[in-house]
Amino acid sequence: MRPISSGILVAVALALLSPLAAAQILIVTSARGAIGELSRQQAEQLYLGRTRSLPDGTPVALADLPGGRVRDRFYEQLTGKNPSQIRAYWSRMVFTGRALPPQQAENVRELGARLMANPNLIGYLPAADADPRMKVLLELP
Amino acid sequence: MIFPPLQCARLLLLLLLLFAAFRPAGSAAADAGTPELSGFATLGAVTTDRRDMWFTRSGVNYPGGGDPDFSPDSLLGLQASLRLMADNDITLQALSREDGTNSYDPRVTLAFFRQTLAPGLSARVGRVRAPFFMLSDSLHVNYANPWVRPPVEVYGLNPFTDLDGIDFIYHARIGALDAEIHPYYGHSAISFPQGKARLDATWGLNLVLTRGGFSLHLGHADARFRVKYRDPQHVALAAGLAAIGLGSVASDLSGDDGRTSFDSVGVQWDDSRWQVIGEYVRRRADRYVTSSSAWYLSVGRRFGAFTPYVSLARQILDEPVARATIPASMAGLEAGWKAYLASRNNAQRSLTAGGRWDLSPTAALKAEFTHARLDRDAWGSYFPRDKAQLAPIEGNTANTLSLSLDLTF
Repeated sequence: MRPISSGILVAVALALLSPLAAAQILIVTSARGAIGELSRQQAEQLYLGRTRSLPDGTPVALADLPGGRVRDRFYEQLTGKNPSQIRAYWSRMVFTGRALPPQQAENVRELGARLMANPNLIGYLPAADADPRMKVLLELP
Repeated sequence: MIFPPLQCARLLLLLLLLFAAFRPAGSAAADAGTPELSGFATLGAVTTDRRDMWFTRSGVNYPGGGDPDFSPDSLLGLQASLRLMADNDITLQALSREDGTNSYDPRVTLAFFRQTLAPGLSARVGRVRAPFFMLSDSLHVNYANPWVRPPVEVYGLNPFTDLDGIDFIYHARIGALDAEIHPYYGHSAISFPQGKARLDATWGLNLVLTRGGFSLHLGHADARFRVKYRDPQHVALAAGLAAIGLGSVASDLSGDDGRTSFDSVGVQWDDSRWQVIGEYVRRRADRYVTSSSAWYLSVGRRFGAFTPYVSLARQILDEPVARATIPASMAGLEAGWKAYLASRNNAQRSLTAGGRWDLSPTAALKAEFTHARLDRDAWGSYFPRDKAQLAPIEGNTANTLSLSLDLTF
């Protein structure tokens, strides 16, 4: 029998430690906002800084949650990039002036306040934190 | 102008204080009307096992300055962006690093106004990054690179990093493929130990195709090209050539009348575990500098926060700066001519093994070891430690160790 590689052991340990029923993440905007629909592809283009508006010309501002599990999972599911890839990617985009970084919300509650204040802002949060003032544009995964 | 280290440290401290004073607190940072401040820094040290040569980045830093040498990679960059309306903004970036004239004076590396013209299409006017390479975007932002620095064989072939002019960036989605079309026009200038150089009427076009973790880059640029050398070696040689009726050769070494073109082809593959990066570039010039081509291939593998990598790189001389037939009786001039051509030729090959350790979401520590062999008629990415030394450095091999700490904030 071949010895089990340490890589497999690490992978198994990680799989056991991460909660299997990880909460769904929603992309939301204000219920009274300017954004009616958002496809997954549009969301990906926006959160990779490749575009700053919808195909109909509506400008879109982006909000980020602070660094952590929700943010890491959001980018992983939407863009397929892991946390270190997305950090390198965004530092390249920002420091060459390719794109302005998303606004950084302090937490989910503060994100809600920002969404109410800006009709063109979109953000993401765990499904359990959504409230009726928000419109759900996309569910991940 | 030569800055003593203390003065450099004071300057950086001043920049940091200004930065701290004007950085708005927390959440307000991103709101319209408030500038967003951010920055990046690298503290890097380089040492080589040769007592007779310095590692240097052609056109980027000034050779030497201590062993270990902190000048090839260390830098501090600060950036401010201001959203004006929903579809336009301005960005300013200042960078302090040793430049080719041994000065740490901060210089403006970005200063542009951007307007979104249509969905996916924006124009920038002012000083933007000159996008000659696949990784031009992260030239100063070492945190965004897997290595301590992009391979010098390739990235040394075109040291112009700023472009004063205009560019357009257009993103189109074709099925699962993302296409970026990036035309640009402008001019650019740099200084280096032996003189200064300028690109005028530069126009270029880049195309980047991305699908999932795979990305293909194609780039082409053309420019008018001026070089002014003022080092004693050049002055003596030009006088020697003119004295024996080879003034036309001398006018191919330095002047206002060059044409140059630059091509780059690159691929990146990143599946979250493996990271494969390869790039080929070709510089053509009708005078003043060599026509050369170069490539590298790098493979890295992520193990959690640790990413070891190996890369191979090569720069080849295609055409020397100029050709001259020097009479056999002029042995001194002939030797001077050969030495001159070698000092303008960066051809070498290298093998690098290193590792990147992501300390935190904003910091990475890197170490790499490079074994380089200079071509028989080239200085490669090295410079003689003592300008009067008798033994030439051409054809030498060197082992170089580089350490760096990269930050973004």
